[in-house]
Amino acid sequence: MSSRAGARLLGLLPAAAAALMLVVLAVPLLALVLSTSPGDLVDGLRHPLAFSALRLSLLTTTTSLALTLLLGTPLAWWMARHPGPPERVAATIVQLPIVVPPAVSGLALLLAFGRRGLLGPALEQAGWALPFTTAAVVLAELFVSAPFYIQSAAATFRRLDEDLLWAARSLGAGPARRFFRVVLPLSRPGIVTGAALSWARALGEFGATLMFAGNLQGRTQTLPLAIYSALETDLRPAKALSILLVAVALAVLGILGRRTVLEAVRARA
Amino acid sequence: MLELDLEVVRDGFALAVQLSLGPGPTALVGPNGAGKSTLLRAILGAVPVRRGRIVLDGHVLIDTNRGISVPTEERRVAWVPQEYALFPQLTVQENVAFGVPGPAGHARADALIGQLGLEALRSRRPGALSGGERQKVALARALATEPRALLLDEPLAALDADTREATRVLLAETLHRPAIPSLVVTHEMRDVLALAGPVVLLEAGRVRSTGTLDLFRTSPPSEFARRLVTRSVGGA
Repeated sequence: MSSRAGARLLGLLPAAAAALMLVVLAVPLLALVLSTSPGDLVDGLRHPLAFSALRLSLLTTTTSLALTLLLGTPLAWWMARHPGPPERVAATIVQLPIVVPPAVSGLALLLAFGRRGLLGPALEQAGWALPFTTAAVVLAELFVSAPFYIQSAAATFRRLDEDLLWAARSLGAGPARRFFRVVLPLSRPGIVTGAALSWARALGEFGATLMFAGNLQGRTQTLPLAIYSALETDLRPAKALSILLVAVALAVLGILGRRTVLEAVRARA
Repeated sequence: MLELDLEVVRDGFALAVQLSLGPGPTALVGPNGAGKSTLLRAILGAVPVRRGRIVLDGHVLIDTNRGISVPTEERRVAWVPQEYALFPQLTVQENVAFGVPGPAGHARADALIGQLGLEALRSRRPGALSGGERQKVALARALATEPRALLLDEPLAALDADTREATRVLLAETLHRPAIPSLVVTHEMRDVLALAGPVVLLEAGRVRSTGTLDLFRTSPPSEFARRLVTRSVGGA
């Protein structure tokens, strides 16, 4: 009898573990929402810290996303079309920033582009000093976020049926026409997913930005840095901006979910 | 006129072919792995030619001695692969007009859509078409560009038996209309009969025989050819 009861208790363990996991994931965000009254939210968003951070974050993440698309798409295409040892090296280089801790990324960026870094003297001679500028924020965001886009785009490009490209060529389509009429439309789901993930990662960038670009209001203080700074003075803008970022994250998830469903429906039509 | 004299080496498989194709359809038969699809892809430019020449209507497409290799998009060789490779995101009309931008091209695409009886399907996407319909769209798309040669890789293989009968006649008629050479890979003697053109037998990367269907029947050049002929006699 007791052994049967024990067995039943043991059987409940996975369910209990699953519930505990869900609670751990849900409670912090729930606490954030519950502790913020609508009044707090409005006051927080009106705080001078909030507006300049919001503006800077939009500016820098838009720029880094544009650079990611512009530079990352050709790289993803090359990786998808030329499997082999050089591509595997490139794939590792692309994956590393995803796994490396942000603090390490920040230090690495400093050692590369900092005044006494690898490329610092050369950049300085050219009249460019990156650290502690808005450009440094963009570079930090690009470094940590572009890999998400590149991986997603390359995976999509790899799945593309090569015969479609040969058919397009046999019909007289040159490289640009093939890319814009065949490759891009057929790869749209993967490209949109990658771009959304990458943008969300850039928006949340904190550690590398703090180390490489600093925390200067209006110049390098993005939303996550503003939240960090506000903690020391006034909690309201910190909470308001956090809720804003959670809302943005939910919107990104919404875009991804709906897009995937839409594409599935279209493919079946 | 399509003149071939080429060698292809790929994954340990060697293809060496000398052929001269006049206008109208030529059937390309041979066992699996004989190199039929590879030959088509070499003419298309999708498989590198190690040595040799391809000349189409006096235009040199490939000449390894002179270092000439015209890119696929400038060869004017249309290709219909086994699964048709229709663009899934485009409608039937957009697929057919893909290779012929501009109003004149659209008019030509529309004429072919009419010719092949595809009007009712103009705004459908390939995913919503039957196998036979897809085959016709692929054919219309290839012909719309007014190619100098046409390559078809088992155009009827993906169709069910009934559709195959109907499409076979249309295919043969369509291929006899323009005065261009077409090379049609097939496994079916019925297709060879319907195409009513020369037959090329490819075995192990070499041309075993070229000739008329009658020659093929009276003295089958190989065991494969004999079985191909008797199979169709038994069936018909």
